Amino acid sequence: MYIIVVGGGAVGYGLALELQQMPDHEVTIVELSGSRTSQLRAEIGEMVVHGDGSEIAFLEGVGAGRADLLIAVTADDGANLITCQVAKHWFNVKRTIARVNDPRNEALFLRLGVDSIVSAAGAVMAQIEATLPEHTIIPLMALEGTRLHVVDIRVQEGSPAAGRRLRDLEFPPEVLVSVVIGKQGANVPSGDTVLQVGDEVIAVIPRESDAAVRKMIAGPIEGA
Amino acid sequence: MRILIMGCGRVGAGLATQLADEGHEITVLDTDSFAFNRLLPKFSGRRLVGSGTDDRMLIEAGIEGTDCFIALASGDNRNILASQKAKEMYGVKTVVTRVKDPLRSELFARLGLHTFSPTKVGVTLAHEAIFQGA
Repeated sequence: MYIIVVGGGAVGYGLALELQQMPDHEVTIVELSGSRTSQLRAEIGEMVVHGDGSEIAFLEGVGAGRADLLIAVTADDGANLITCQVAKHWFNVKRTIARVNDPRNEALFLRLGVDSIVSAAGAVMAQIEATLPEHTIIPLMALEGTRLHVVDIRVQEGSPAAGRRLRDLEFPPEVLVSVVIGKQGANVPSGDTVLQVGDEVIAVIPRESDAAVRKMIAGPIEGA
Repeated sequence: MRILIMGCGRVGAGLATQLADEGHEITVLDTDSFAFNRLLPKFSGRRLVGSGTDDRMLIEAGIEGTDCFIALASGDNRNILASQKAKEMYGVKTVVTRVKDPLRSELFARLGLHTFSPTKVGVTLAHEAIFQGA
């Protein structure tokens, strides 16, 4: 596979080191700063090239037309988005991944056709949400172009759902419980599945139902 | 019309002045307050310091009620990012984007933005001038 990484900062550098370990991949790292390029070339070699990864003429020169994957990980959201759009719509690169620095840009990136986004703020938020007892609903994945997302919720002590069958629970509309992970392992539930304290529930739900679903499955918030 | 102009360089300031004279309600956004010195003292529009790629700034500048958004900042990517936000996220009807790189200008026009490339215009004018003189 031919992979182009745009941005030779800490993320791009780390990525380059990982990709170098994988045989069968050809990798080019594109870095905008001349001095940073020299530094990276001294360390990881000829795969690093100096240029503007959002510039069509330049990308053509590094063979974007035959790239299978382009990853834009600069600190500039504008550059990351536009680079991915150029890759996708000018060079027909099959898959594009962008780093999102400002979490408010996540929805726009997905809407404009970036295949995957990597958001440091989003990832850290998910960890925080997993740690805090009052945030017992963990967003796992947004479904592109919809109000739906996939969430992970733990059934806690005092949950109104504990000990009840799924069919007896009055969920808000468009809520689908997809997987229940209990002591016996993961199961695709039926209406007769009974939720137990400690179970983990993976569900597809509309964002606006987060609070209602959390209250129903996770139970009352401690200290609230 | 309510018009929001991102970037108060020579083009942004000139356009803001002309549109204000024509009676439009203008807000000019620039990351550097020094840029507003390019506006004549009689300019009656709003001047706001901030980035047009920042959602908070866009909302403060009234993007939600604006009829027209014009991106004239120095960086192509910033202009394209802000314009796509204006169009896709805030539903602004008329969005105009300056893109210096002629190829990126062509691509994003194909993807639905109203772009123009001063580079392409300059090349055309210079080329014409050569052969008019001959």
